[in-house]
Amino acid sequence: MNYNFDWDAVAKAFPSMLGGLGTTLELTVITIAISMVLAVPLAVARMARIEVIRWAAQGYIEVFRCTPMLVQLFWIFYAMPALTGVTLPGFTSAAIALTANLTAFMAEAYRSGFQAVPVEQVEAGRMLQLSRFEQLRYIIVPQALRQQLPVILSLNISLFKDTALVSTIAVSDLMFVSNTNAAASYRSLEIFTAAAVIYFVIAFPASLVTSAIERRMQNTAAPSPKKNRSVLAGMVPGSRPAVSA
Amino acid sequence: MAEPALTAASGPTELPSSGNGQALVAARGLEKSFHGRLILKGVDFDMQAGDITVIIGKSGSGKSTLLRALAGLTDPDDGQIAFDGKIVFAEKKRTREWNTVRSEVGMVFQSYTLWPHMNVLENLTLAPKKKLGLKPAEARDRAEAALAEVGMAQHILSRPTQLSGGERQRVAIARALMMKPKLLLCDEITSALDPPVAAEVLDVLRRLKEEEGIAVALVTHDMAFASKAADRVVFFHNGEIAVNTTPENAFENCDNPDLKKFVDAVRF
Ligand SMILES: Nc1ncnc2c1ncn2[C@@H]1O[C@H](COP(=O)(O)OP(=O)(O)O)[C@@H](O)[C@H]1O
Ligand SMILES: [Mg+2]
Repeated sequence: MNYNFDWDAVAKAFPSMLGGLGTTLELTVITIAISMVLAVPLAVARMARIEVIRWAAQGYIEVFRCTPMLVQLFWIFYAMPALTGVTLPGFTSAAIALTANLTAFMAEAYRSGFQAVPVEQVEAGRMLQLSRFEQLRYIIVPQALRQQLPVILSLNISLFKDTALVSTIAVSDLMFVSNTNAAASYRSLEIFTAAAVIYFVIAFPASLVTSAIERRMQNTAAPSPKKNRSVLAGMVPGSRPAVSA
Repeated sequence: MAEPALTAASGPTELPSSGNGQALVAARGLEKSFHGRLILKGVDFDMQAGDITVIIGKSGSGKSTLLRALAGLTDPDDGQIAFDGKIVFAEKKRTREWNTVRSEVGMVFQSYTLWPHMNVLENLTLAPKKKLGLKPAEARDRAEAALAEVGMAQHILSRPTQLSGGERQRVAIARALMMKPKLLLCDEITSALDPPVAAEVLDVLRRLKEEEGIAVALVTHDMAFASKAADRVVFFHNGEIAVNTTPENAFENCDNPDLKKFVDAVRF
């Protein structure tokens, strides 16, 4: 095998690839920001006392967990216009699809975080007359976020990588721009290697941080409360959800 | 169903009051079942303002369920509850009066009571700031006073994880005090503590009664505290109040065989 590398192709493509990276990061940040907020009500609904709400939330989550992201993306971009009559720009479709998807996964992370908050802590809040919203805002969510931080970070790293899928609906993200440059220069090897390096350079530090947090949490972890003393399971046999819509 | 006088319909309620104290809590015919099992079987329960009532009984007899019903955490299936002369639960639901008195009822639990992600000051001031509209400085003043009452003033900026079990419980009491309760419900708050530490925590309750006139309903297995500090001892047996009497009658001249057996078992 003797292949003549032509890294000039990368040098030429690099400015436009950085532009593509800008789009990738923009999409990543928007998606993460919106998902992290929307996942709270979804997680609450997922634990609701009222069955219909719980089932609806669970149905939503399962749909996004059990279908390929690419299908979700195509569905929003190509299929939904047939229903709504409105064709959304690629970037908007991509943001909607990715957010809908990440929200589902994020909600599951929140839910296990909520369940790790001992029911007494929430009841102490109730006794002090904090409203349902205040209990969530000040007692449950902050602790759930901390507890689930490694999971949340790895979901976000996956999302960052998965944004590459949006190149298939002509959003000019890093992957799309790389692909265009590779085709134009016939230098796929160099260009896609460069693209991989760029993704890696961003994701790897985040991954290191995640592992470090995880390790620190394991070392300092207080004995985790028994499952049956959690917010969801109630304090005694039989379930008495403390968090519900 | 002949229930003692306490019906929502009867307007100004005739509250059972013994001696000079006006009843702070009067519960009639409380019933509660879980999964078809009757846990409270028509419980009548009275407490005078400023009294310490110690509730004893085997585990599973319904003590926590009663406290939780009084606290508004669990609604009974039936019965009535009056607080400070106002009917707060009747006809299977909380009345509007409940909202006017609920701040007067505080509760402390056995464990996991403090919010671990906030320091002591934040634990104490969150609710007063949100619910009573206290300014940060006012809330801090009140927190300092409450912590002084439980002997924890020097720990105002500590985090719950830095405190011992007994210290946490004292802070939890202080946090309840922030809302100026007339009644403190304490469910086995010392069960996880060593006896000397438990005694310190219980001593706080006695001081609160003596200095602030705060009534305390305490579920405990600490018979020493019950006989020393309680005004009333209530013995729960199979979802019913089998005995409600003075500590002397409960422990020295006891004529209830179940209570006798229970006390002997706890004392070994
Ligand atoms: N939320 C609940 N769901 C199901 N069962 C419960 C619930 N709360 C209490 N119980 C049951 O009621 C009984 C009495 O409980 P409890 O009032 O906690 O007793 P105690 O405090 O005297 O030990 C127990 O058998 C318990 O399992
Ligand atoms: Mg109990």
